[in-house]
Amino acid sequence: MDNVNILIIEDTPAESEALIKVLKAHNYTIIGVAANHKDALTLFYNTKVDIVIIDIFLNGLPDGLAFAENISIVPNAAKPFVFLTSSTDRQIFERAKLTNPFSYLMKPFNELELLYALELAVEKFYNQNDVFLGEEENTIISQDYLFIKKGKSLKKVEISDIIYIEVEEKYCSIITETEKFVILISLTKILELFDSHIFCRTHRNFIVNTKKITEIIPIDNLVLLKGDHKVILSDKYKDSIMQRYILK
Amino acid sequence: MKAVFRIVIFSFLCYCQLALGQQNYSPFEKEIIAKSKNSIANPDFTKAQYFFLQKEWDSCFVYAMRQLSVDKQSEDIKNFCHFFRGFGFKEKKLFKESKKEFLHITNNFQFHNHIQMFLGEIALEEKRFTDAINYFTEIEQLHPDKLLGIKKSSVKHNLGLCYLHLGKYDKAEHYLLEELKLEEAQNDTSVLVGSYGDIATLYYDQYKDNLAIPYFEKAYQLSKKVTNYQLKQNAALNMAVVEENRKDYAKALTYRKEYEQWKDSLNDQNKVWEVAELEKQFTVKQKQKEVSLLKAENKIKIAERNGLLYSAIVLFVLLGTAVYFYSEKTKKNKIILAQKEALSELNTTKDKLFSIVSHDLRSAVNAMKISNAKLLENLAVKNLDELDSLLQRNSAIANGTYNLLDNLLHWALLQTKQAYFEITAIRLYHCVEQMIYNYRPLMLEKNLVFENTISKNDIVCADQESLKIILRNFIDNAIKFSKENGIIKMYTQNTDEKYCTLLIEDNGIGMNTALQTALLKETRLLSKTDNEAISGTGLGMQLCKSLIQKNEGKLDLKSEIGKGTKIIVSLIKKQPNG
Repeated sequence: MDNVNILIIEDTPAESEALIKVLKAHNYTIIGVAANHKDALTLFYNTKVDIVIIDIFLNGLPDGLAFAENISIVPNAAKPFVFLTSSTDRQIFERAKLTNPFSYLMKPFNELELLYALELAVEKFYNQNDVFLGEEENTIISQDYLFIKKGKSLKKVEISDIIYIEVEEKYCSIITETEKFVILISLTKILELFDSHIFCRTHRNFIVNTKKITEIIPIDNLVLLKGDHKVILSDKYKDSIMQRYILK
Repeated sequence: MKAVFRIVIFSFLCYCQLALGQQNYSPFEKEIIAKSKNSIANPDFTKAQYFFLQKEWDSCFVYAMRQLSVDKQSEDIKNFCHFFRGFGFKEKKLFKESKKEFLHITNNFQFHNHIQMFLGEIALEEKRFTDAINYFTEIEQLHPDKLLGIKKSSVKHNLGLCYLHLGKYDKAEHYLLEELKLEEAQNDTSVLVGSYGDIATLYYDQYKDNLAIPYFEKAYQLSKKVTNYQLKQNAALNMAVVEENRKDYAKALTYRKEYEQWKDSLNDQNKVWEVAELEKQFTVKQKQKEVSLLKAENKIKIAERNGLLYSAIVLFVLLGTAVYFYSEKTKKNKIILAQKEALSELNTTKDKLFSIVSHDLRSAVNAMKISNAKLLENLAVKNLDELDSLLQRNSAIANGTYNLLDNLLHWALLQTKQAYFEITAIRLYHCVEQMIYNYRPLMLEKNLVFENTISKNDIVCADQESLKIILRNFIDNAIKFSKENGIIKMYTQNTDEKYCTLLIEDNGIGMNTALQTALLKETRLLSKTDNEAISGTGLGMQLCKSLIQKNEGKLDLKSEIGKGTKIIVSLIKKQPNG
């Protein structure tokens, strides 16, 4: 599991330092701090950002808001973001609300509020509400990563690193080349959101990354994967797996 | 002699007209009315008949002519039309036209005998005496039943006249005497005068003066009884001529005078009539004038009355509007007065708020000042243990003051409606957790136990910031009014369909009932609690009430002195479908 990368856009060093302190304490990686609009854009496009924390007012101007408006209209570039503000000025809020998804944090805030706001931003951005806040699930699936709530903070796992997933009731064991961990997510959601060209079922309880398959042994009903992992291949899914594998 | 002759002719004409005017109509009328009933389809004929009866000859001619110009019609109607015209012409003394019309009538016409009679009369008028005699003798020989109103006496009279004019005195005498007999039987004085005159003239023409004179005298005597001046005049003149011829000039003169007198009275009568006519016209004009004058007066009166009416209406309307505006004004004044009172009340509240807030702030800052001075002292002597507790206290004071200022700010924002307000779905558990986070150290200091048993699935509809303010204030209060080692519990009840009820329970000092009701009352005035030492401005409570109201929630509280307080906040539940 990797840390989540955060970009902070904040012009007051004291505030950004406080933020960094809290975030680092909860295993977030601060990928950069920008104090103005231009720096923010540069950092945003040149680093792998997962979440942006934006102070609406930069040097007295609503440049943070402008930045958010800027990135939210670029397709594929947009990332989840959280607004920081010290005023509930209605006009500013009405404008900020138009940048979808909209989540904000009122200064002063405590660390719980900050962490909650980050989670909410991710949920809203990937349109998978009530994941981190409810009790049923703890993982959000994006294009490239799984965002997993671990304790009070978030972690991420690159989807392409996954070798296979073993489903046990409402838990899923994720097996990568280096780790194995359990997350709370429903099988249907995985099947729905994972790229079906890459991941396919071999068994009622197994989902396999086809790119990690090293060998298929139909006689033994086994699929061999990278890292000497073995997965059962049931009759129900055998044909489709064979077909796909042969075609490649 | 000539004069006598002329007079006789004159008397005959008069007689003839009388006979026609009075006696010959009724059979005609009956017949004509009956006829017109049968021919309602002929409006012209009906009109002709009407004008005929009214003796308006010209109109009668026109309609009769019109009726004749129509092609298809019965012979009977044709005959009647010709008859109307002939009769009319005869009355107007247009004898030639009359004769023409009468000759158009066929022989089977029911008034054929009348026509014969009229033709005879016309011949007599035209002095064709022989023709006239032919007509009259024809009628005379008829049976009396067929005469239909033609008087035998008049026929005989006419015959007598004809013979008289022709100089056949014996025949004339015969007819006239016969007529006289008939007339005497009828005993019509005015006719008798004429008849006597005629016979007298007859004898007189034959120079049989002895026979003539008694008739003249008779005529004269009778004429005195009649009112007809013409007859009186003629009789007197005849007597005058007779006496003149007898050379009795004195008598002649008397008769002449009498004659003149009758003539004058005739004229006088005419004059009197004329004058009467003029007077009548004059009076009519006078009346007309009066009438028009009255009309004009009436008009003026009506105009005056209308004017009065209109002005009254206008005045009334003006009065009405004046009253309306006056009442509006008083209403407005009342409203303004009420507003003024409310405003002054608010102003007092604000002033009070200011004084309380500033007092609180002053004491807080003052405490901080003193604490800071102590801190510096302790720092100088490097008493580190004391430093720590002092800093803790400072931090607590700063926190309290900060909360007060925060509430003040939000209160102001709420009053001016400047704050952003959006109701969204909020997970109550997390929100409470976040708020509690700030109070952990405080609770630790007082050694309080905090329990958050709110379900993670409780989702309410509220504005995030205002919900946070509400929670902060209630938690703050709960801590403030808790004793050492107390317990604060937060939990929800989902008994209501619409509302999720959040309870904040402590086992602190509690409140009396009066204070509870005062806190819940819809009042703008701030209540100062008895517990001066730890109670605040009441601003927090007011702010919470307003915010809960704005979030469409409800607030209730239960408290007992010494046992603790239960704050009950009901917020709208997020419905599963929305």
